[in-house]
Amino acid sequence: MAKDITIYTTNTCAYCAMVKKWLGAKGHSYNVINLDEQPEKQAEALQLSGALTVPITVVTKQDDSREVIVGFNLSKLAPAVA
Amino acid sequence: MNQIADIPTHDVIIIGAGPAALTAAIYTTREDIGTLLFERGVIGGLAAVTDMIDNYPGFPDGIEGLTLATSLEKQAERFGAVIELGEVTKIIDEGEYKRLETTSGDMRARAVLVATGSDYKKIGVPGEQEYYARGVHYCATCDGAFYRDKRLVVVGGGNSAVQEAIFLTRFASHIDLLVRADHLRASDVLQHDLEKYTDKITVHFNTTTDEIVGEDNKVIKVLGTDKVKGEKVEFETDGVFVFVGLEPNSQFLKTSEIKLDEIGFVLTDQHLQTQIPGVFAAGDIRSGATMQIASAAGEGATAALKIREYLEGRPHPVQN
Repeated sequence: MAKDITIYTTNTCAYCAMVKKWLGAKGHSYNVINLDEQPEKQAEALQLSGALTVPITVVTKQDDSREVIVGFNLSKLAPAVA
Repeated sequence: MNQIADIPTHDVIIIGAGPAALTAAIYTTREDIGTLLFERGVIGGLAAVTDMIDNYPGFPDGIEGLTLATSLEKQAERFGAVIELGEVTKIIDEGEYKRLETTSGDMRARAVLVATGSDYKKIGVPGEQEYYARGVHYCATCDGAFYRDKRLVVVGGGNSAVQEAIFLTRFASHIDLLVRADHLRASDVLQHDLEKYTDKITVHFNTTTDEIVGEDNKVIKVLGTDKVKGEKVEFETDGVFVFVGLEPNSQFLKTSEIKLDEIGFVLTDQHLQTQIPGVFAAGDIRSGATMQIASAAGEGATAALKIREYLEGRPHPVQN
C-alpha cells in the first residue's frame, strides 16, 4: 500500500479524471496539485517526470521510495500502488 | 453476469467507452440487457479531450468535451452499465458466444460491440517521437497549460487543429498554424472563430511539417517547406501540437476474423454487424463513419437496437 499519492492535474485534463476515478475505485486516497491553480508547480512537475504533460502521479511507498507515472497508464499505476 | 465454464459471461460486452459505446450502453441497459464496457484509455474517448463541442445537438452554447463525456458516463451507469478499466486484446468467435481475451482475464459475451474509436495520427517526421510529451503533444486540454506565454506550432487544418489552436491561445503568446493544403478543412463556423484570433494565430497554408528540432532536451523549432515557393521555412517554437487526422484503434482486431478496410477501420453491413455474427461495430472505428460525435451516438443507438434484435430468439443462457 502506498504511503502517499499525489497527482498533478489541470482543470481540462480527461486523463487526470481517469487516474482519480481509478484510484478512487480501488480505495486509494490521493492529493491533487492543480497546475491551473498553482502554475508555479509546473517546474516541479517537469522535474519529477521529465514530461510536459499531465497527469503525473507520484507514488511514495512505505520505504519512502518514489515512483512517477506519466499519463493514465494502468500497467504502471496498478503495480505502483499495490 | 453469469459464469460459464468458469469464465464470466455477459449478454453484451462493448469494447470502448466513447460516445458510440456509452450511447449503446444506455440503450442496452434500459432493455435490461446486461452490459459491460471495457475502456483502456479515457472514458468519453476523443470527445473527452476536446476543449469545446459546438455541434452536438441539445447544447445551444456548446459543451465542454469532458463535461459531455462525464454526463454520458453517468447516464449509462444510471441504467446499470458497468465500465471496466482495462483492455481487450483478442476476440474469438465461438459460435453463440464470443470469447474475449482481456487484461482482466478471459470473458464471454453473447454479443460484442466494437466501439474503440480512433486516435490522433502522428505526422511521422524526425523529432516527433523523440520529443513526445517533451515538446510534441496530441492533447491540448492535457498539456496546453505548460505553455503559458510560450510560442507554439499547431499542425493541421481540420476541425481539431483549429479548435485546439483557439483553445491554446489561453496559454500561448503566439501560435503558427501549419496547414499542408491551400485551405482549411475546418467548418465555416470554426474558420469564422479563427478570424477573431489573428493577433495570436498565424495561418501558414501550403506548408509542410518536415522536422521537429530540439536542443538541450527541448523543442526549439519546426522545419517545413513552403510548397508554393519551394523554399525551406522554419518556425521558432517551444512546443508542437499535432492534429493531422485520425487513425483507427483496431490493432487488437488484426488477430481476429473481423474484416478491416485498407486503413484499418472495421467493415460492417447495413445492420452494423461485422462478418462475425453477433459482433457489431459503431462510431469512429467503423469504415465509412463520419467522425462526428453526434453520428457516433446515433450509431451507438442503432447498434444497440440491432444487438437486441440479434439476441432475441437466441438461447438465453445468461440470466441477469
